[in-house]
Amino acid sequence: MIRCRQVARLASAGELSESPLRTRLAVRLHLMMCRHCRRFIRQLAWLGDAARELVSGFERDEAVQDLEARLLRRLGVD
Amino acid sequence: MAALDLTFLDRLRRRDAEALRLSVEQNARPLYRAARGMGFSHPEAEDLVQDVFATFLETLDRFEGRSEVRTWLFGILHRKSLERHRQLAREDQHDAIDDVFESCFDARGNWIRPPLELDRLAASSEAGDAIQACLDDLPALQRQVFVLREIEQRDAREVCNILGRTITHVGVLFHRARARLRHCLETRGWGDKR
Repeated sequence: MIRCRQVARLASAGELSESPLRTRLAVRLHLMMCRHCRRFIRQLAWLGDAARELVSGFERDEAVQDLEARLLRRLGVD
Repeated sequence: MAALDLTFLDRLRRRDAEALRLSVEQNARPLYRAARGMGFSHPEAEDLVQDVFATFLETLDRFEGRSEVRTWLFGILHRKSLERHRQLAREDQHDAIDDVFESCFDARGNWIRPPLELDRLAASSEAGDAIQACLDDLPALQRQVFVLREIEQRDAREVCNILGRTITHVGVLFHRARARLRHCLETRGWGDKR
């Protein structure tokens, strides 16, 4: 039987989708019964969302608007 | 992974302006974003991306087109950013964060310290600052894997190719990065039930 540690480790390493079908089914069953693991996985997703949000904020910066044009100019392409 | 269009590669080697423009347009922003995620400021990140493209052009003759241009560019970014951070890409076999993770479970593998509720921090405006500070605390290689896997959403296989490491190692690094981020956020009050 799959245990919480293994579920958390697989999810955290981003290896769930690459796991064998048998493992994925066991994980799915486990998640139906285990609210702690469900919370753990929900928090992983939140962590990714929050990090993406943070970095996309940098990209909206006005200084970044002409990035490509400046690069091409400096690389000698008009 | 799609094999690269050879005529496109030839055009790049001939410094064809259109091909160059296309590579810049498709890749400059993801590279810039990744550089910011790795902790470089705006001018540093822009300078780094320019350096990546300059090196790309210089080394085009060695590029055999077996991987995609994007993977090649991100590989250059990876090496250059480690150089600039002057940090060794060394990753200890044992990492203290492994003990923190293991201490959450009993001998059978069941939770003894289950994840705390995150609602307080997740809903707060301080979340961005907290994440930024915790990202800054990550070892360089773990941070790179986190940025590529989570912010750039590249799959494990591509990250292996970019970093030149095995898929198992990338999994370990990704897990350690997230465990460390979680631990860092918890110490900043992520789990406070107030």
